[in-house]
Amino acid sequence: MSKPNTDGGTAVNRTERPLGLPKWAAALLPILLLGLIAGGFFAATPFASLDTGGEPLPDVSVTYTTLPNDETVVVHVTNNGPKEVTISQVLVAEAYWNFDVQGAGGDNTLAPRESAEVVIPYHWNPGWDLEVALMLSDGSTVHHTIVAPNQSPGLTTELLLTMAVIGLFVGVIPVALGMLWFPFLQSMSDRWLHAILAFSAGILAFLAIDAGFEAFELGEQVPGAFEGTALVALGIIGALLAVQSVSAWRKGRAAAGDARAQSGLWIAYLVALGIGLHNLAEGLAIGSSFALGRVSLGAFLVIGFMLHNVTEGPAVVAPVARGERPSILHFLGLGFLAGAPVILGGWLGSLAFSPTLGAFFLAVGVGAILQVIWELREMISRNGQAASALNLITFLVGLIVMYVTDLFVAL
Amino acid sequence: MGTGRADSEDHSHGGSSHGNFGAAGEYSDLDFDPHEFLYQFNTGRGEQENVPQDTYEENGRTVREFTFQAIDTTVTIAPGIEFPAWAYNGQVPGPTIRAVEGDLIRVKFENLGRHAHTIHPHLRNLNPEMDGIPQNGPGVLNTGESFTYEWIAQPMGVHFYHCHSLPLKEHIHRGLYGAIIIDPDPERVAENPEEYCNFHRSQITDELRADLVAEAKTRNHESPENDEVNEMVMVMNGFDTNFDGDNEVYAANTRAFAYGVGDTDGRGNWKAGETKRPIQIDRNQRQRVYLVNAIEFDAINSFHTHSQFFDYYDHGTTLTSTLQTVDTVMQCQAQRGIIELDYSNHDPGLYMFHAHQSEFAELGWMSFFEVV
Repeated sequence: MSKPNTDGGTAVNRTERPLGLPKWAAALLPILLLGLIAGGFFAATPFASLDTGGEPLPDVSVTYTTLPNDETVVVHVTNNGPKEVTISQVLVAEAYWNFDVQGAGGDNTLAPRESAEVVIPYHWNPGWDLEVALMLSDGSTVHHTIVAPNQSPGLTTELLLTMAVIGLFVGVIPVALGMLWFPFLQSMSDRWLHAILAFSAGILAFLAIDAGFEAFELGEQVPGAFEGTALVALGIIGALLAVQSVSAWRKGRAAAGDARAQSGLWIAYLVALGIGLHNLAEGLAIGSSFALGRVSLGAFLVIGFMLHNVTEGPAVVAPVARGERPSILHFLGLGFLAGAPVILGGWLGSLAFSPTLGAFFLAVGVGAILQVIWELREMISRNGQAASALNLITFLVGLIVMYVTDLFVAL
Repeated sequence: MGTGRADSEDHSHGGSSHGNFGAAGEYSDLDFDPHEFLYQFNTGRGEQENVPQDTYEENGRTVREFTFQAIDTTVTIAPGIEFPAWAYNGQVPGPTIRAVEGDLIRVKFENLGRHAHTIHPHLRNLNPEMDGIPQNGPGVLNTGESFTYEWIAQPMGVHFYHCHSLPLKEHIHRGLYGAIIIDPDPERVAENPEEYCNFHRSQITDELRADLVAEAKTRNHESPENDEVNEMVMVMNGFDTNFDGDNEVYAANTRAFAYGVGDTDGRGNWKAGETKRPIQIDRNQRQRVYLVNAIEFDAINSFHTHSQFFDYYDHGTTLTSTLQTVDTVMQCQAQRGIIELDYSNHDPGLYMFHAHQSEFAELGWMSFFEVV
């Protein structure tokens, strides 16, 4: 007993009682069978003959190290392997040293995917590389070199304040300055405004390329158990799809006649979000370099960041250059969304830098930016030609400007 | 009023803020005790349970017979660290064999390991069939095969035995080695004194001859004079636990820091541990170390005493010392010698000794005598 049904033009035959079962039972059947087979495996061990007693190799990674004071080294480790590992001895600069494993339930054994801190009382020398090796019970060693050690700043209000001030100067102020081009953008012809939008897309494209490579690079430091490369890919595609679905929802609303959903303000916010996520990652990089004592935030570096980020201002406001000028509150909101994440990133980076978190934020930023580029292209083609000679050239100029200013901010 | 006291209390248990080097924790596997190994000499009289042995006369010669089995096992080389070893009679270093010059050493060898093994003795062997190399005699012995090696105990001295299967590096560093000590025969020394010193027969005075015989008696385990000397065997070895061609653990007699102090605050206070403790020696007794270097992957090893100088007899093949008043000797692989120590003028207390390659010392070859 079936009746024809239509779904997007495709005719399907819907069966009310597949295999003569109620619908819910048909949905649960495969899961139930899987459960039975899995249970049967534990009960009957049919592959016992294949168990040659082979042992998986231990896989332990050092995610990062902190140096809370001049006589302590803290090594953060994660067990990536499928079996537990025991840290039996610790070598510092090729000498057995006493140590304490914290956060592994009181012993030196790490369950799969468990992380712990190995605290070593060692009077290290600032700037002198320190090699630490963890020796597991089977004699395998996990080596980690702390390059040019420097004291980790630790959580102080002074640090939070410092990172906030840095974030203000390298993030919020340049974006705000860039947004002051708004009246000038308003006075432009469509042709030149489109060129500016293409320039913005070029800027964003560079950020996506830059952050993408960085995300995959950082993904290699992610403990194996978290599949760094897959995590980065997931972050990029996930963010792209999330922003795209919100955008599709907005278009539906606009088509239904919602005036707010039609304005360029929406795209401006998307651009601000994409740039904000990029700046969050930028903040993470500054913060972690700061935490490692690797950065001297001299005037040159701050000016470099300002040059780099000032171009992000017009990118944010260009989409609202036509039509009604949004309220000043929207401008503040856009500037905050694009620039302020540097501060948040700085805090996160200097306090608890983890490559996993860093790679994920970078990936999400890349995904968001890719969607925004698509959005800008649509915006231009609404009343113009996206791939005009002028637009392509300004797109390229955007890429080049970012590349050149990026050279000033090598951390 | 209370400051000084509080201060000293702080030091006694606070530990140095610089941290302390040394292996963390105690040994939990008590199958092998490096403190016992120091004094375990197998002369054929059943000294070690895991070394079946016998001694008897045959054709006017003393025979010392031992049963050796090569097996695959694991040995503990640092607290919590297991090393997959190949071992003679389950121990690394292998059992110490002791005989008197001219005896026949008969080793009934059975290979129970997964790889082919041999026993190659560093002795003056007149029968090449007995050299324990792949190219001669029975060659390598595969799993389950047996062979009886027979070696004449000569020359006097402290010697080395090891597996000569290929690859040599692996067969040695996995643990197939040990010490052979050949005691001088005092009667033979009286008859041929020039063979035991660097003098020509024409230069031997009655006084020198008497000195050499007296010294020989202190070396011969069957003489009462030998009981006056505290004799220890130290086989310097190392272990490459991660197969990178370099040792992660160094030791005298396998276990890192086993002759170290158990615990110290780095301010002159220390406590002996259960398994990590200094070698206690009597300051009124003469101390002798039979030192053998079995190290693999490193060109040399060394032995250095703190606050002490000693006389050194290279290979132990002379009764007059080859080096006088030194505090450091160097040995290449398979080199060995006898160290004669005298602590009778020293105050009781801790005296460190170790390899003077800082790397080896910090990776386990760091030890102490506690002179009492």
